[in-house]
Amino acid sequence: MKRALSLVAVLLTSSAIAAVGSPAVKVPLPCESPYQMLSPTGAQALVLCKDESVHLVNLPDGSERLLFPAERRTNGLAFSQDGKWLAAGFHDGMVELLPTQGATAARQWKADSNRIDQLYFFADGKKLFVSAMNHPGTIWELTETPSLRATLPDKFGGVASVAVSPDGKLLVAGGGDTVVRWYDTTTWQMSREYDGFLLDTFALVFTPDGKYLLAGGADSRITVFDVASGKQLRQLPPQAGASIGDIDFLSDHSEALTEYFDNAGEKPPYRLAWNLKTDISKPVQIDFRPTCGAVVEGKLWLCNTDGRTLTITKQQ
Amino acid sequence: MSFTRRELLERCAAFSAITLSTSIPLSSLAYAWDEAEKKLPTPTCELGPFYKRQAPNTSVLRAPGDGGMPLALSGTIYDVRGEVVPDATLEIWQTDNLGHYDIDGYRYRTILEPGGKAGYAIETVMPGHYPQRVCQHVHYLVTAPGHKPLITQMYFATDPVFDGNPDKNYTRDPLLTSRELVRPVMIKGEAKQITAVVNFDLVMATL
Repeated sequence: MKRALSLVAVLLTSSAIAAVGSPAVKVPLPCESPYQMLSPTGAQALVLCKDESVHLVNLPDGSERLLFPAERRTNGLAFSQDGKWLAAGFHDGMVELLPTQGATAARQWKADSNRIDQLYFFADGKKLFVSAMNHPGTIWELTETPSLRATLPDKFGGVASVAVSPDGKLLVAGGGDTVVRWYDTTTWQMSREYDGFLLDTFALVFTPDGKYLLAGGADSRITVFDVASGKQLRQLPPQAGASIGDIDFLSDHSEALTEYFDNAGEKPPYRLAWNLKTDISKPVQIDFRPTCGAVVEGKLWLCNTDGRTLTITKQQ
Repeated sequence: MSFTRRELLERCAAFSAITLSTSIPLSSLAYAWDEAEKKLPTPTCELGPFYKRQAPNTSVLRAPGDGGMPLALSGTIYDVRGEVVPDATLEIWQTDNLGHYDIDGYRYRTILEPGGKAGYAIETVMPGHYPQRVCQHVHYLVTAPGHKPLITQMYFATDPVFDGNPDKNYTRDPLLTSRELVRPVMIKGEAKQITAVVNFDLVMATL
């Protein structure tokens, strides 16, 4: 769960390097919570409580409903891109799809025999990528009764990262076996395989124009691929002792906002904004340790908590 | 050359090396033998973020002067019928005694091909506590034709986290999936040269 939330966690723009937040919004929480996940619309937040129950909180009034008690052992969560649906994965291999508003009945199904680790909605909200511990990734059609559309084979270790191209035609998955595989989303045939990495890839992201794919992971550097040819174009300088956990873009698409975590597990994560035209990075300074973050309407929202209060700052 | 149990029974019967004193058919005897030897697959764990391909083939992971208690780690790779898996490839990786993984190089990483008897033995050190994990552990990846890849982790019954009672306390590490993965630790040698000795057999499921 911690990983699932951290992967969507903190996105920062170059302009946020010296950013000043707008007046903060304070929201009451149903519990003490180490991590939260903001919906893409900013209308709601998923709140992971210390007791490992999961609540859905409406912003900014704080009205909430318990989604999953601790006994459900939730392990993966994802909002659809329009924020209208939520997918949750569990230790027992079940996946549940439920609306974030209204009373539409939830759909649930057994997607795997192992613990669900990652969920990823396609942009149209009609397909869901599911990965379970050590098992190949699967694609599910979100019909009334969700059905298995494709299985994406690997050698071992399941899927560590996934991204879909902006036009929806290409899915790229970073395997636990360190191989990055490219799939045609029409046929679900593998179109390319890149085995140049010796370590796992934790972050994959397409540039918003769809021309480039950025990959980062335990080798601590961003690798840039040309999408049309599949060729590796270049690698940005590595960060000693750190792995990349997340890469994303804000409104200025020339900068890749990259989150690093300490390989020794001793220091807090930090962030660099890489200019993809100059390959020069700038550190991103925040004076608190965010507990969640998301881009909402082109702006970065960051959270932190104090007891049972969630404070959300919208960066300028 | 190796034989299945059924083949062995049949050959022994053919050469009168055994005398069947009951009316039980040979196939039933082979089945009963198989059942008695049957093993459950080793519980799986997650691969972890620091698996690295192309580790060297070495049985000595510990270098002279390395800190930490020497550890002799050994075992045998079986299938669920209890037969050894002679064509398995085994990858093992762990932290050093301070809890650090070597990402840049290949310290405390190895790939072994145990061969016909499917046994392995390495000389390493007791791993430290990686700060993001509760327990000391050693990672395993075992692959073999006709078998599901086995990804698991081995834990130490002496780990202070268990407070001397792994039966009760193994769940303190949320990533520790089964008590079976916590292995007893024998201490051997003289006071100034003690070595921790652990046996960890692995059982692979068939495809």
